[in-house]
Order: sequence, then C-alpha cells, then structure tokens
Amino acid sequence: MKRNTLSYKIRQYLMFAGPATVLFCGVVIIPLIYGFYLTFTSWDGISTTKPFVGIANYASAFSDGAFWVAMGRTLIYSAIAVILVNVMAFLLAYMVTRGIKGQNFFRAGFFIPNLIGGIVLGYVWKFVFNSAFVAIGENLNIGFLKDSWLGTPSGAMACMIIVAVWQYAGYMMLIYVAGFMSVSKSLIEAAQIDGCTQSQATWKVIVPLMRSSFVQCIFLTITRCFMVYDVNLTLTEGGPFNSSVMAAMHVYRTAFTERLFGTGQAEALILFLVCAIVGVTQVYIGRRGEVSA
Amino acid sequence: MKKLITAIATVTAAAMAVTPVMAATDLTVFNSKSEIQTQFEEEAPVYSELAGVNMEVAMSNDPVITHMGTRYASNNPYVLSMVDAKDVYSLTPEHGIDLADTDAAKDTDYAIEIDGKVAALPFCIEARGVMYNKTAIEDITGEEFKPEDYKTLDAFKELLDKLVEGGMDAPVAIMKEDWSLAAHYLAQVVEEQEDPEAYVQKLVAGEGDIINNEKFNSLMDTFDVLMEYNYAKDSAVNADRNKSEDMLAWGDVAFMFGGNWDWSLIVQSESDSEMGMMPVPQNTEDGTNEKLVGGGSKYFFVDSSVSEEQQQAAKDFLNWMATDPDGQDFVSNTCALVSPYKSNTLDVSDPLSVSVKAFADAGNLIGNYNFFPDDHITKVGASMQKYLGGEIDREGLADELTEYWKGAAVIEH
Amino acid sequence: MYELENAKAARRRKIVNVVMWIVLLVLFLAFIFPFIIALINAFKANTDINRFPLAFIGPRKGFITSNFPTAMEKMNFWGVFGNSVIITVSATVLTLIFSGMCAFVVTRNNWVACRLIFALMIASMVIPFQVLMIPIVSIYGGTLNVLNHRLTLILMHTGFSVSMATFMYSGAIKTNIPLELEEAALIDGCTRWQTYWRVVYPLLGPTTATVAIIDAMAFWNDYLLPSLVLTNKPLYTIPIATQIFYGSMGGSDMGCVLAALILAMLPILILYLIMQKYIVEGVTSGAVKG
Repeated sequence: MKRNTLSYKIRQYLMFAGPATVLFCGVVIIPLIYGFYLTFTSWDGISTTKPFVGIANYASAFSDGAFWVAMGRTLIYSAIAVILVNVMAFLLAYMVTRGIKGQNFFRAGFFIPNLIGGIVLGYVWKFVFNSAFVAIGENLNIGFLKDSWLGTPSGAMACMIIVAVWQYAGYMMLIYVAGFMSVSKSLIEAAQIDGCTQSQATWKVIVPLMRSSFVQCIFLTITRCFMVYDVNLTLTEGGPFNSSVMAAMHVYRTAFTERLFGTGQAEALILFLVCAIVGVTQVYIGRRGEVSA
Repeated sequence: MKKLITAIATVTAAAMAVTPVMAATDLTVFNSKSEIQTQFEEEAPVYSELAGVNMEVAMSNDPVITHMGTRYASNNPYVLSMVDAKDVYSLTPEHGIDLADTDAAKDTDYAIEIDGKVAALPFCIEARGVMYNKTAIEDITGEEFKPEDYKTLDAFKELLDKLVEGGMDAPVAIMKEDWSLAAHYLAQVVEEQEDPEAYVQKLVAGEGDIINNEKFNSLMDTFDVLMEYNYAKDSAVNADRNKSEDMLAWGDVAFMFGGNWDWSLIVQSESDSEMGMMPVPQNTEDGTNEKLVGGGSKYFFVDSSVSEEQQQAAKDFLNWMATDPDGQDFVSNTCALVSPYKSNTLDVSDPLSVSVKAFADAGNLIGNYNFFPDDHITKVGASMQKYLGGEIDREGLADELTEYWKGAAVIEH
Repeated sequence: MYELENAKAARRRKIVNVVMWIVLLVLFLAFIFPFIIALINAFKANTDINRFPLAFIGPRKGFITSNFPTAMEKMNFWGVFGNSVIITVSATVLTLIFSGMCAFVVTRNNWVACRLIFALMIASMVIPFQVLMIPIVSIYGGTLNVLNHRLTLILMHTGFSVSMATFMYSGAIKTNIPLELEEAALIDGCTRWQTYWRVVYPLLGPTTATVAIIDAMAFWNDYLLPSLVLTNKPLYTIPIATQIFYGSMGGSDMGCVLAALILAMLPILILYLIMQKYIVEGVTSGAVKG
C-alpha cells in the first residue's frame, strides 16, 4: 500500500474526517458565506427580494454609535469577567487539589451551574437579585441589599459579571485541576527537598508549568464573554435604560427589531473579527516561551 | 467497523422512526398572545373536529416580527398569523390576502385596511388606563369609589394623600418595562393630539416643540404624581412586574397604569379584590381624561402563498370566531377578551375587560397610533427609564425625544 | 530539631486545610444558593413567590406541589422529554464518533486539508450564533425544506459541536497516545481504521466521557437552534416547551418556571453525578494540551 499518493490521502481523509467535515461545513462555513453575501443587501428579513446595496451596510455599521458603545462595554465586561473567572477558578482548583476531605464533592459541586441553560439561568438569577436579595436586605436590614442591584447601570454590569463568574468558574476550575495534576509529583518533591515550602513550590514550580491551562481557560472565557447573549437578554434585558446592552444583543436588535438585517449581519461579522483577533493574540502571546513539562 | 456502522444505523433509524410523517396540516395558526396559549391549544382539537380541519396553534416569545422573519426565511409560513397592528403594515402587502369578503370583516369597525384591501382583522379590543383596586381604596376611605370623580389630577392627588394618611404608604405602582413606558404611556402624547398624524409629521421634521406641548406636559404632570407615590420610588427602574401586579391584586397599592392584558398576571395572585380601569387623570378640559386609549388589537392575517383550501379554512375560522356562538364564547368566556365584533354581545368575565368593554361600547376609546418606528420602544423606552430613575429632568427628556424623532422611520402606511 | 520543625509544619498545614475547607464550604453554599431559592419557591403559589421569596412555606397559600403537575401538563412533559432524550443521545453519539475519527487523521497527518479544517474549526469557536441564524433557516428551510425533522436538528447539533470535540480529542491524542503504539499496530498488520478503533479509541475513554457530558449538557439545554429548526409542536424539546411559562412582556408564571427548571435539570444532574468522576479524569488527560 502506497501511503504518499494523493488518492490514498483523500481516501484516508474522507474515511476519518469526511462526516465531521461535511456536517461542520454545512452548518458553519456555508451559512457564514451566505451570511457574508447578505451583508451586501438591504434585506429586511421578511421580504422576498434582497436588493444589492454594496458596502452601505458596513458604512452604517461603522457609523452606528450605539454599536461601538456596546462593543466598548463588552470589552470592559469581558476584561473584568475574564480576570475574575480565572482567579476564582484557579483558587478553587488550588483548594480542591490539596487533598482536603471531600474535595471530590466540592469539585462536583462547583461544576453544577453548568448544568442549566443560559435563558433559564438568567431568569433564576433575576429572581435572586430582584426578590431574594432584596428580601434578605429588608429582613436583616442590610442597606446595600435593599435596592435591587439591577436598578443601576453599574449594578447591572456587576450582576452580569457575578453571573459570569458563577457560571464559568466551575468549568475552568476543572481545567486548572487538570493542570495541577499533570505536574508530576516527583517534580514537587524535588522542589521541596531543595527547601521550598509548599506555597513556594506552587508558585515557582507548578504555576509556570500550567501555562497551557491558563491559555486554554482564558481563550474559552474570552470567547464566551464576548458573545454573551442569553444571560444579557433574560437577566438585565439591556436595562436600565439600555445601559447593559452588549454587542451581541445590539446585533440582534439591529437585525431583528429594527429589521436592518444586512447591517446587523455586518455588525455581527465585525464582532466576530474583534473576538477572533483578541482570542488569537492571547493564545499567541500565551504560547510564546511556553515551558514544556 | 461493524460496530460503528451498526451504531450509526441504529441512531439514524431511531431518529427516523420517531420523525412523524408530515401530514398536511390544514390550518396552522400563530398566536402572539402568549397568555391565552393554553386556551387556544385546548380549543384547537374542538374546532378541528367541528370544521373538519387539522388546526395547530403555535406561539413564540421572540418579538413577533423576528419570529415571522424566521418563518418566512424558512419558507414555512403560518396559514393564519396573529400579529401586532404595526406588523400588519410590513407583512401583509407582500404576504397577506384581502379579507373583505369575510363576514367577520363586515362585523367590525376595527379592521386594518391597506390600499383599499382589508389586510387584517382584530382578535380583541384592548385599552390602556389606570387600573385600580376598588376594595383596597374603599377599605381606607370608607366610601364608595367612583372613578369618574377623580378624572382631574388635582382630585386624584387628593385621593392619593387620603390613602397615604389612611395607612397605605405608597398607593401607586409603575411598570418600568420599556414597552409600557414608551409604547403605552408616552404614546398617549401622540394619540391624544387633535391630529396625531400631523403631529408625528412635525416631530419627524424636528418641529414638535415637545417641551411646550400641552399634551406632553399634561401627561408628564400626571406621571410625576405617579412617581411621587410609587412604592418602588427608590429603585423605580427596577420594579418587578410580577411583584407590582401582585401588590395591586392584594391592595398593597391601589393604582397602576396598564391595560386589560394585565389581568392574566393579576389573576395568578388569587385575591378577592374588586378591580377596574379608569382613564389617566389629567388636569385638562379636552375630554381625554374621560376616555381610555385603545382599540382593535392582535390582528389576524391570512398568508397568500398557501393553498386555496387553507386560505378558506383560515377565513372560516375568522368568521367562526367573530359570529358563531361557539366562537364568540371562546373569545369572550374562554379567553376572557373583549370582542371587536358587533354581533358578539356576550359579557366578559374579567373585571378589567368589563371596564374596557363599557368604555368601548360608549364610544369612549381614543384610537391607537400604530405607526411608531421599529426602534421606538427600545430607544424612547430607555429615555423614559432615565426619567423614571431621576437621571434626567423633563427638559432632558424632551431633548432626547426631539433628537430621537428627527428623521425617525415611521412605519409606512 | 528537624523533627520539631516537621511537626510544626504538619500542624500548620492542618490548620490551613481546615480554613480552606471552611472557605470552600462557604463558596459552595454561595454557588448553589440560586438552586436552593429555586427549589424552595417551586413549592409555593405565585403570590407567595412574588412577595415572600425566602419563606419555606408560603404564608398565603401554604405548601403546594401543584406547580409540578401543572407544569408537566402544560408543557406536555413526557412527550418533550422523549424528544430531548432522542435528540441529545443521538447527537452526542454522532459527535463522539465523528470528531474522534476527525481528530485522529488531523492530528497524525500534516496534510493541507487537515491543517485547513483544524484551523477553521478553531476559528469557528468564536462565531456568534446570531451570524448564522438567518442563513441557516433560509438555506435549510427556504431552499432545502428539511426543517421540522429531528434528524435535521441532530445533524446540525453534531455539526456545531464537532469543532470543540475535535479540538479536545486532538489534545488527548497528542499527549496520551504514544506514536510507537500505533506503529506497532500497523506493523502487526492492522489498517489505519483498525488501529484507530482497536488501539487508539479505547485509550481515549476519559476524553470521550468529558466530551459526552459537555455536549449532552449543551444539547439538552440549547434553546435557540431547536427553536429555529423544530417549529412543530409534537417535536418540541424541553427548553422550547418551557417557553410557554414566560410571558413575552416581563411577566411570567414563576411557579411553573421553577418547577420546569427542576424537572429539566434532574436527568442531566443524575447523569452528571454518575459520570463526574470521569469528567475530571478526562479533563486531566486530554484537554490541556491544545
């Protein structure tokens, strides 16, 4: 059997990767290309005609002030959320890998928020912020809980971040746990024999070796935070007074509420590009000088 | 390999086996009034049997226009769709048929006509005003509550003070939802003008002079009073709608601006209070404080691309709903809605709709303005929320509104 | 002297551990707080939920269980539950099969096609779904007319999830499967196909468990895609059926919402509790090296 001929390669590829390629292209690549074409039309989403308008949609996307405000807001939200999620996840992972009693129980417990979907999760948290916290504030007379946090722009932003931490910390924790466990015991023992305390061993030996865990977690949190929509929709509804409308929600509103489908699609592509650039840059910087174990 | 193929085959077979053969569903109906979805679904088999069709009712919580967009994009329209009035203008010119030949169309004053064709027929009459809890008010004042005594803002404010003295700390609730503030409350500024159409044209041209407009100031004076007595004054932009409705139902507050659709939430509270609706109190002589604002609502149109039989089945359903005793019973009793059709003389059961019907029957409804731009709710709603939250004053609100309206894209009609 | 130091260190370590245990417990309670609130309120009437969110037993209408049967009836629970199970299980199985195979060929060969598809898959992880939504309905509904079949949704779910799954399998293959093992199998006369199924795939068990649970959760909970693909009532999945309890305008039937939430969450929670051991193992062995 020849293993260098083109036909061998094609057969091999199709046999193994054929189904995945077909399905993936069918639902992602082809619709993406078709969607790209739609950004050059002034389709309203309902009409049977799709008039061609050139780059007019990109012009209006670039001049849409509210879109860039939402984009800036998304950047701030993502920056804070990414840091907090990863700090929390790392600390959790650190605590549940020290051999504490019941650590498996804790590992399982912190992951539970991942079991419910974004829409429902937003409703439940809205109820918690609006009703449960306020009731606690009133019963125990705690001033800062008495008025719902969702009522002010900065409060609503804080709520979004809290929910992000709650939602993703457990998932990222598992990846960090894996990172901790992949650093071999003998390396740590060697460090301790050399006179390191346990915390020194953690910071000077283990953490540098976990670089790829960090890269992976930060990549995942960045992409998820950038595209936040479900929770935005059901938790804050963009309010108060549109102060918490994130980029994805703005895109959705432009395309479907204002029925400027082409413009919305163009804005979505810009969002995709920004997100891809940030994500890829992060991975690139993170990978540079990676310490291999 | 064998295992794999078997696995795939099993999965595929399982998936295929339970995919029902798509029997030609004769009558697909889109219901955009989510609170009556259960009633509608229960009626579907009954009507199907009666009319010899296969009726299926669907709903969606997406905005109506979004949902219709995905249905048309996927070439899968409903035979009969219930949409909001403003959507009729964007959907029916391309997708609707003329309903002029139906009995239902001849039986109502609320049909929407476009270019001489009857484009859509209403499902119900809905109106906006101030909802009150009669029992709670009377418990404090000790005398019978007659809403017509409080049509002026001065008289209304006196009553509010009396309620506060009597122990109701804050007798008002305000919904913070953008649709309520923008499309329901502030919309009245346009709807109560002598000539709404001309006024909107002025607004679009940037000549509305909102801050000096009589109606704007009159309605905002009332809104200021409502804000002053709002139970959620300190976090007004975050009042929870479920909680507010419950407080109204149980008499913790006495008044809330809203409409007869609010009954679907109030009824969940299972309280025994007597309730009703009254016009928004205003210090005005123009008579608008004696009328509710509203009219036909939730419009049905029939899709033009489906088969003749399906179109006929849809028309038959509309006639049944409007004129058949069973259909009238469905609208008035099962769904507890006010019918917009003259031949329907049934009384309605929910107390808010009783008020609405009384005003409608007496000709005391100020019509809806149905052509607000698509982004009106999100943008004007945000401005109103800022006002409600004390972020801007009346002048600031007027400025934002002026800015919004300049060149705004009013729905073509 | 050395002994003493050691004892001291051990004692300090013990104290630190106790402190950490307490911190973990507090955090854990904070993490499940929303679920506790949901559980308490699922057994109360709406008026009690709205006004007394913290009460264990509603002061006005007392302890009730009627939210559950009401929610189950209104959403046609067993019907939609069946749909959700069929769709989740089928799509998960297909994802596991196709993406494992794809990762194998992509990781072990440096062909152009392999590099291209892998790069596309990674890039696709940052595409907002909103970008694809209308194109998908207009291609599959408008042109091909294949919406409203469970199989369509199953294949679409698979298509969306193969990228992430391939990524994870690829990491596991790179780090955990020694190349020598495969070469040995080839020398023994195995074809590539046999090598994969007999030698490589069994070693990917932990990753398979991780991918399975992550994707099963995503499919079980997904709302947007199923709501676009399945518009006929008999085909609804649990998240679509739950929509009936949310008013479109800010008011909702909270009692039923919470009951439905608990009903929808139970099966996946049970699955998770059974499999959770494998998840940690799977992440440990596979996902880290991307």
